[in-house]
Amino acid sequence: MNTLLDTGLAVRGLRKSYGGREVLKGVDLTVAPGELVALLGANGSGKSTALRCVVGLAEADAGEIRVAGTSLRGLSGAELTRARRAAAMVFQQIHLVRRRSALDNVCAGGIAGLPLSRSLSPVLFPRELREHAMACLDRVGLADRAHDRAGSLSGGQQQRVAVARALCQGARVLLADEPVSALDPAAATQVMALLAELAHEDGLAVAVVLHQPELARLHADRLIGLIDGEIRLSTPAALLSEEDIAALYRGERG
Amino acid sequence: MTAQRTRPGLSVPRRNRKPFYLGVVVVVCLLGAAHVLAGRATDFSPGALVDGWHGMADFLAEAFPPKLDWDKVVQPALEACLVTLAIGLLGTTLSVPGALLLAVLGMRGRNPVVYQVSRSIMSFLRAVPDVVFALIFVTAVGLGPFAGVLALICHNMGVMGKLWSEAMEEIDSGPADALRVAGAREAQVIANAVLPAVVPSLVGLLLYRFDVNVRASLVLGLVGAGGIGFLINQSIKLFQFDVLATYILLVLVLIIAVDLLSALVRRRLND
Repeated sequence: MNTLLDTGLAVRGLRKSYGGREVLKGVDLTVAPGELVALLGANGSGKSTALRCVVGLAEADAGEIRVAGTSLRGLSGAELTRARRAAAMVFQQIHLVRRRSALDNVCAGGIAGLPLSRSLSPVLFPRELREHAMACLDRVGLADRAHDRAGSLSGGQQQRVAVARALCQGARVLLADEPVSALDPAAATQVMALLAELAHEDGLAVAVVLHQPELARLHADRLIGLIDGEIRLSTPAALLSEEDIAALYRGERG
Repeated sequence: MTAQRTRPGLSVPRRNRKPFYLGVVVVVCLLGAAHVLAGRATDFSPGALVDGWHGMADFLAEAFPPKLDWDKVVQPALEACLVTLAIGLLGTTLSVPGALLLAVLGMRGRNPVVYQVSRSIMSFLRAVPDVVFALIFVTAVGLGPFAGVLALICHNMGVMGKLWSEAMEEIDSGPADALRVAGAREAQVIANAVLPAVVPSLVGLLLYRFDVNVRASLVLGLVGAGGIGFLINQSIKLFQFDVLATYILLVLVLIIAVDLLSALVRRRLND
């Protein structure tokens, strides 16, 4: 329908229930390439679930998901995995293998297409993959820490390694589930600036679940607000008002 | 600040729960009865121990001083200790591939049929004592250390597989999820997310099993698998209690050495 969306993310009518409770009540979400969209909302409003449905960590009950121009509807097995590979995910808990080096962790993002004989241990990873991973590490500004153990890096550095891993996956759509909730303010700003750069300079479609409206206003292009599984707010970041923010989080108090 | 702002004299709400004293009394009575029955079943009688004290005294008098004849006692015993150690080492190492396979297949949350089959195999291997395995293998390869090694491999595969699969289930599933999202296949996820995270605890459990297996190979020696256990059995049959005392001292040294070594390596791993 829209050539702009051929490399972005488009979600239509997404529904999901857990044990009878509707978490997503028909969510429409579009993220264009080159755009950073922040998802705001109280705990339990469905922000994370929406992202998890896109990458397959949760199974949507209804709705259509298009990743980089390919609809996931009707796909299964290897085809579904391949289509989903265009979307990468970054987590609040970072989820790196702490005992492995930063570079090996980044390489792991790109092993999906490799035969088992080249992917069961870092010593078997092909040189092209290692070079690609090095470029990704360089993109997040950590080329000099390539051989450091992931666990020895600071929280902000670890999250940037996780972003590099997502880049190594070759994703066109980058999803981030509260990527800065566990980081100090300086590191949080750095990671958010990196995500904005990846959208604006590298043309990725970036969707970030955030709990800090201030960070969203600073770094995002567009804000989407969810209340009880429905989108109630969609506004350019510059136009976000204090009343909007209060309305989003009102349900949690009382 | 909070001191002034708390409401004074707030009564503690009653918990809506029946008193449980009766339950405690019943449990204590049942446990008491079980112990009385167990005492009867095992002919537990402190009187018999007191009456027969001189039997032990005679034994100890004969055992001390230990016989420290180098050529006839100490040197053969040291060689036998090395055989015991070797049985424990091979029995542990050679069970690693099988244990790893059973552990990975026996992890919860994958194919339920594979899970049940793998759990059943491990339960069977654990349920059959290593001594019984040894007796079975003796019929194939004859008396000697080799039968002991084979027995330990079988039994240890079951025990270590179970310990390992539990260790793998306990780790954080986050890194594995991250690789699944990246499109990695299950074998790639295990090799690149699960195994690297659990290797320290797997090696710790491996060393613990080596420790246990060296002691087990001692018992296997008693039923004919060679090593220091075999010599101990002989010395008892020949009533050479002073020689027996020497063997037991050497076993003590061997066990302490293995224990210290594995503790040292485990501490290094956890850093």
